[in-house]
Amino acid sequence: MLLSGHFQGFCRDLYSECSQICAAAVPAGLLTTVQAQFASELKLNISNPTVENIRKDFERFGLLLDLASADPANPIRVTHLGHLNFWRNAVAHQKATPPPAGVPPVLVLADIQAWRASCTGFATFLDDIMHHELLRILGAAPW
Amino acid sequence: MTTQNLTDPFQIGDLVKIRNSGYGRARIVELRGALGPKGARVYRVQVRRKPRPAYIEVLEEQLEAVLPGH
Repeated sequence: MLLSGHFQGFCRDLYSECSQICAAAVPAGLLTTVQAQFASELKLNISNPTVENIRKDFERFGLLLDLASADPANPIRVTHLGHLNFWRNAVAHQKATPPPAGVPPVLVLADIQAWRASCTGFATFLDDIMHHELLRILGAAPW
Repeated sequence: MTTQNLTDPFQIGDLVKIRNSGYGRARIVELRGALGPKGARVYRVQVRRKPRPAYIEVLEEQLEAVLPGH
């Protein structure tokens, strides 16, 4: 749960930082309007950091975010993130049903360390993607 | 959620108004941290809206305090 929450926090912070950088580029009279649009119905505020929720939120910046195919290292990260979110929900909601095929049936440290490595990889990947996108949108390096 | 720092100009629960916006009173619900341009503080505020309240993230410089009862 801690790892899932930490990764969700990173994604949410990155999204907020990117949205504030974009909002700062519009005329002052439009600032609150743009901020309200970026904040409206944000998945990462209320839901787990699934691939789908990350995609839906970050595609608001006008990019197609195909996480699985954008980087050769991503397919295994996608799998790990799915496993992490499954176990996060199983623990948080005290599910008694066994996990589906492919998901580790019991939690062991090695699996959690692999999930953490995948979250770190995703974090670096997302940071790079958004740096590139904001550079394209704004014409200047955002950070 | 970022830990509340008592040196912050706004605290969770404070009533504020967002400058240059059509919103009425809003309430600080979270200090998001130094996520704005050049490290500006960002706050998450709740604004009244029907049927559900809305949430917006704004910069510290956009906020002005509202005294209770005003």
